Amino acid sequence: MILQVQHLTKRFGDLVAVDDLSFEVEPGEVFGLLGPNGAGKTTTIRMILDIISPDSGHITVLGGSPAAAQPRIGYLPEERGLYRNVRVLDLLVYLAELKGADRVQARQRALQWLEHIGLEDRATSKVKDLSRGMQQRVQVVASIVHDPDLVFLDEPFQGLDPVNVERVKGVIADLHREGKTVILSTHQMNLVEVLCDRILLINRGRSVLYGPLTEIKRQFAPHAVRVRAPELPPGLPGVVAVEPKDGAYDLSLAEGTAPRDVLRALVDRGVDVQAFEVAPVPLEEIFIRAVAQD
Amino acid sequence: MNWRKIWTITRHEYLTNVRRTGFIIMTAIIPALGLIILILVALLLPRGDAVANWLEQQFDIGRKPIGVVDRSGYFTPIMPEYQETFILYGDSEEAEAALRADKLQAVLLIGEDYLETGRITAVTRESFGEAALADSDRVRAFLVNHMLADQADPALRRRVADPLENLQARILSGTGQERGGGMIFTFLVPYFLAIFLVMTIFSSSGYLLQSVAEEKESRVVEILISSVRPTELMAGKVLGLGALGLTQVLIWLGSAWGFTGGMATLLATLGNIGIPARVFVLGVVYYLLGYLLYAVLMAGVGALGTTLRESQQLGGIFSFAAVIPYTIASFVMINPNAPIARVFSFFPLTAPTMMMLRVPLGEVPWVDVAGSIGVLLLSIPAALWLGAKLFRVGLLIYGKRPTMREIWRILRS
Repeated sequence: MILQVQHLTKRFGDLVAVDDLSFEVEPGEVFGLLGPNGAGKTTTIRMILDIISPDSGHITVLGGSPAAAQPRIGYLPEERGLYRNVRVLDLLVYLAELKGADRVQARQRALQWLEHIGLEDRATSKVKDLSRGMQQRVQVVASIVHDPDLVFLDEPFQGLDPVNVERVKGVIADLHREGKTVILSTHQMNLVEVLCDRILLINRGRSVLYGPLTEIKRQFAPHAVRVRAPELPPGLPGVVAVEPKDGAYDLSLAEGTAPRDVLRALVDRGVDVQAFEVAPVPLEEIFIRAVAQD
Repeated sequence: MNWRKIWTITRHEYLTNVRRTGFIIMTAIIPALGLIILILVALLLPRGDAVANWLEQQFDIGRKPIGVVDRSGYFTPIMPEYQETFILYGDSEEAEAALRADKLQAVLLIGEDYLETGRITAVTRESFGEAALADSDRVRAFLVNHMLADQADPALRRRVADPLENLQARILSGTGQERGGGMIFTFLVPYFLAIFLVMTIFSSSGYLLQSVAEEKESRVVEILISSVRPTELMAGKVLGLGALGLTQVLIWLGSAWGFTGGMATLLATLGNIGIPARVFVLGVVYYLLGYLLYAVLMAGVGALGTTLRESQQLGGIFSFAAVIPYTIASFVMINPNAPIARVFSFFPLTAPTMMMLRVPLGEVPWVDVAGSIGVLLLSIPAALWLGAKLFRVGLLIYGKRPTMREIWRILRS
């Protein structure tokens, strides 16, 4: 286990920001830490990073205490910014040195990552002369330039254009390939679906959903199929309701009816099936439903 | 405490701030002033008399004669040597008319009972400042000379009119030898030196506040404190910006060296105008203690504001305390050991500046020296604790300035 959080609680006055939260992150996975605004994500991350201390509960990270693990963790905060009057490369090297990295190595790694993310010609520019998207990419590099084993990326895609979203996704994929562990926090659920192996959804400081993404999606899958066909015959067996949607039909199934039963019936009746799938449920919808139920 | 990280922060703070425009201007201004004075002196030296004359004019209140309406009879007629500067009038209307016509600087109305009551009314056109001339040496000499005209020999008369006319100040140094140099310079130079040192304390701790507030405003701080402890960050900043202040002082001293033609001359000049070793050592001690106290407080306060401006307003409270000694500097110059000066020497926020003012001016009781250093040594750890606590908490509060109640709660927790 690379991170183990047990019964973590943090109060600010009367507000319980994190409430008896437990979860684990496995080495080498991309883990989604999700939740609505104010759910306690940042507070949780800050406790794991030893920026603030928990009221109760226990954290083991990279095999030790948060304080001991600090140099091996990278952090892209949601509330973020850079020194404005400093050159990009100097800034990256300084931040890496604060994490205990060697200056020469930090410099090399910084240049590599800058090239990777399309900013190699900006190494000697001052931060204030960069566009916002560029600054954001520099911040992503700043969080990984000291070669950490565990990286927290809090809203890394915020305000990026599609090209740069792809670049940052590429960085995450690279980290994944290198065997690093990434904890990703974002509101862009489509990216979570693409990137994350497992997720934790928290609301009001408590765990709402936790586990492998595929399992959670199965758990929330409606008992329905989606069929694309010119027209559907009435009275299909085991189908309770038919609803046209986006040029296709969503068919709600009766209990005990399997999707393949419906497909067989469609084929038997000679329907010109162009597409057939078990109705997908977007993570976004799961998120909204889980939070609403909580 | 991780000293390698502290050193990294120290280096970064120093290198970033040494390039600030504000720092460069502040540092260059002293050598520039020195250069201007040198040029002026070089230009004006050949015409020394003219300059002296001009200077005298600047400090003389009035060149116009003074009208006198004499009912006592002591001042009639006016002695020949005063006939250009004092004019006798028969009645006050005539004299005041001349005053109104701007021919006179003032009119002195001397009553019949002057000898018994000493009452003279001075009439002037405008301000009270001109009325004060009635007390000037010029008027005094005029009065004395006339009243004693028949009764004393001229030498005695002259001495009575101005008993301190040719005062020579002489200070006994440790070896019992006489020291040269004007009375003024023996304390003016150390005094201004002290002011400059104090200025560097405030510019350095001001940069500290600025650096903390900027990190908070730009949110860099969130990354920083995920890498270093707040106390390490604070220590690095205090050291880096302290080194910056020292750089400034060294550049100033260096430029003074350049202008005076070498260190030997500089030291000789300093020795000549009297900076004893005691003053120098104490100056360094108060400088370091004062900087530490203010730096730590400014770091804490800098973290409290949400924007640079807000932090600067908060920091102003402390700067105000430090300036108090300068507001009473004129009393302190007359008597460096005045009770009020001693009181401020024992209050931590004013002790460094007060003592830096007092020490060059004269012998300060050792109780005050020991007491003020003791107070500072005790208050610095307290400020460090307070500053670190404010710093730590202040850094993580964005968007709103904490209220006094919140700050109190933070300090107690």
